[in-house]
Amino acid sequence: MPGKNILEMRGITIQFPGVKALDGVDFTLREGEIHSLLGENGAGKSTLIKCITGVNKKDSGTILLDGHEINPSGPNEAMSLGISTVFQEVNLCPNLSVAENIFVGRQPMKHGGIDWNEINKRAEELMNRFHLDIDVTRPLSYYSTAIQQMTSIARAVDVQAKVLILDEPTSSLDENEVQLLFSVMRELKASGMGIIFITHFLDQIYAVSDRMTILRNGHLIGTYNIDELGKVELVTKMVGKDMDVIFSLKRAEVSPDAPVMLKAEHIGDGSKIDDISLTVKRGELVGFAGLLGSGRTETAEMLFGAVKTVKGDIYLDGEKIEIKQPFDAIKSQLAFCPEDRKRDGIIGDLSIRENIMLAVQSRKGFMKPMTRQEQTELADKYIALLGIATPDCEKKAGELSGGNQQKVILARWIAASPKVLILDEPTRGIDIGAKAEIQRLMLEMCRDGVSVIFISSELDEIIRCSNRVIIMRDREKVAEVDGASCTQQDILRIIAEGAA
Amino acid sequence: MTKKFSLSGVMQSKVTWAVIAEALILLVCFIIRPDFFSISYQPSTGMLYGSLIDIVNRSAEITIISMGMTLVIALGGTDLSVGALVAVAGAIALKFLRWDVLTYTTPGDYTVYPYVLVIAVPLIACALMGLFNGFLVAKGGIQPIIATLILMVCGRGVAQILTDGKQFTTGYSPFRVIGQGSFLCLPMPIIITIIVVAAVALFTRKTAFGAFVESVGVNPSASRLSGIKAGNVILIVFMITGLLSGIAGLIYSSRIMSNDSNNAGLNFEMDAILAVVIGGTNMAGGRFSLAGTVIGSLIIRTIVTFVYYFGIVAEATMAFKALIIAVVIVLQSEPVRKYFAKRAAMKEGARA
Repeated sequence: MPGKNILEMRGITIQFPGVKALDGVDFTLREGEIHSLLGENGAGKSTLIKCITGVNKKDSGTILLDGHEINPSGPNEAMSLGISTVFQEVNLCPNLSVAENIFVGRQPMKHGGIDWNEINKRAEELMNRFHLDIDVTRPLSYYSTAIQQMTSIARAVDVQAKVLILDEPTSSLDENEVQLLFSVMRELKASGMGIIFITHFLDQIYAVSDRMTILRNGHLIGTYNIDELGKVELVTKMVGKDMDVIFSLKRAEVSPDAPVMLKAEHIGDGSKIDDISLTVKRGELVGFAGLLGSGRTETAEMLFGAVKTVKGDIYLDGEKIEIKQPFDAIKSQLAFCPEDRKRDGIIGDLSIRENIMLAVQSRKGFMKPMTRQEQTELADKYIALLGIATPDCEKKAGELSGGNQQKVILARWIAASPKVLILDEPTRGIDIGAKAEIQRLMLEMCRDGVSVIFISSELDEIIRCSNRVIIMRDREKVAEVDGASCTQQDILRIIAEGAA
Repeated sequence: MTKKFSLSGVMQSKVTWAVIAEALILLVCFIIRPDFFSISYQPSTGMLYGSLIDIVNRSAEITIISMGMTLVIALGGTDLSVGALVAVAGAIALKFLRWDVLTYTTPGDYTVYPYVLVIAVPLIACALMGLFNGFLVAKGGIQPIIATLILMVCGRGVAQILTDGKQFTTGYSPFRVIGQGSFLCLPMPIIITIIVVAAVALFTRKTAFGAFVESVGVNPSASRLSGIKAGNVILIVFMITGLLSGIAGLIYSSRIMSNDSNNAGLNFEMDAILAVVIGGTNMAGGRFSLAGTVIGSLIIRTIVTFVYYFGIVAEATMAFKALIIAVVIVLQSEPVRKYFAKRAAMKEGARA
């Protein structure tokens, strides 16, 4: 039984310098529904959300909340109207307790002081509602990302929200945590709240939402009931072209006698990883599968010198190499795209040009600078090659969408002409079109003789691209399987049981 | 591809507002005293004189130091020790400008140590102290403001110890040239400033060093993973700042032909930070503008000159300086810049 509309947006148009970010978009949210908002990066999802919360000013159109027109001037006003937002990155204070985070800025008072008992009691009630039995007086940083995410939701819910916006809440959660989040969402929905849900994971859309609205390049493509549209149709509508591309990707051919490019023997970092050995052949793509915390990232970081290797040897092209810091790895023509793009990858305030030239320049040292012209040529070359959506190479890299930022980082490393390219979750949090592009690019690199190590939580990606899959569990390598002949079930079984 | 000129872009820039602020202050000076801008030539000394010359001349120490400070702030740090290093440089220089008291009883045109030591030792010492700051920050992981606090506090003590707590004077004429001499009709400090500014600008912009500094300032972790040796960048920047403080210290002590462990370089760190901030470099690190910093330093000195020139009571000097700076900083604030940029953009849109 569809409830009445709580939020109605009609003919929303937002003009940014040079582009129409939204062009006459209609959107309705009903009481007690979970409504997925879909589209590629740059389709206008974030802009629409920011319009509801008053961060971006609309140029035309109306927003009705419960039938009354609203024009929130910013997130605070939107919140007081009953529109709460939980962003992808947790915007909380890690050093404050869970309870403090929920009530900061609106603490219940008693006798002119803060009523701590009341705060802790109410926080506990809220968390219990989410079936979380935790100590709310502990600092937030003590808990996992999932709990932190729940805390932001609890904070949003406690302000008596009618509309809850969840912007990619699941991108850093594992499967159990996602399920926990979903049960909370369903509960809130049952209480009559309207939830706008943004995610890149198609399965999650089908698992939890009632309706979906698809945007593309700032235009409304349509609003559908969840059972109206299959996955393939959905993706086609999002991307605007057939998604055969992603399914037509072929893994690279590696001849059995191809030489070994990178070999690690019994390496360990002295704390997390004790003993890992692996080889990667020339032109081969090796996938790392395993759960978060299984040691995938730590191994990659050791190979690149981001973390010090205290034992074992690393050989490149048959020669032993000494890697003490990333600079040494770059000298040996290794490249590494880190997992946390924002913290370790992109240099947001610098231009795309500077971001791309960085690795090449750091290898040369600062006394041998590239001229401005050389930098621009290099950047323009890779902007064209990777299809980075930008007016020119002087745009700040931080202003690009996630997928384009990832392409900039890839460009930084491809420009450094690596022999071994290590990619840690390069497709996380980016849209399906960009994902396909990045996978295609990886495979092309392999065909050019580059060895690629590919870490991903999405097994279908791993299986589609890898020649060989290394499976990690509890910080150990537990198995190595052939990419062409294994299935998702095989890998899942090994991850679960720990044996081949 | 040439970059198109856009009025809204110019209005967004903090440097623009610094220039506007400086122009406004000078305009007020001109209105009150039209002869403020007059410059005269004095044949007896071979130098140009006038308020404008005086402003540039007297801003030399702060301009020189703030070149280094710009880089430190671009890295996301601050260097509080620069003022103390000015005192140390002066103390060492005067220590080497001793003379044989049995031969001469009053200060005069003589020194026992070679002149090269008088110049080189203070500069090397200051560069090493800068390196010490950088070492604490880069290798010790100490926050710059804390690390440099150490030398800020003990630097003046070191200067006192070096000179046995005494104030030496000298009459050695080659030393006088640094702060009081002239070249091409301009006071020597102006010449030194021009050389320093040009050297720092060339070093940062003609090599990739400036880009590395900005990169580390924006995102140290990503910079390290891109192969930048962030530690070395930090060491070099603090060493440069120490060296420049030494140069400023020599100019300062040459102006007074003496050392003054208590007052030499007093509050220079604040003025230098202020010059950088007015010049448009963000305290959080990242993009820096050396040209902006030069203007920032000139603004500070113009205000001080204004106060002296127009005979504002001495007690009110600090308050007056603070007032003007507050106005400048409000002019540069995000909302004000955005407001004018928007108006400019609308005008451009209307024309297009």
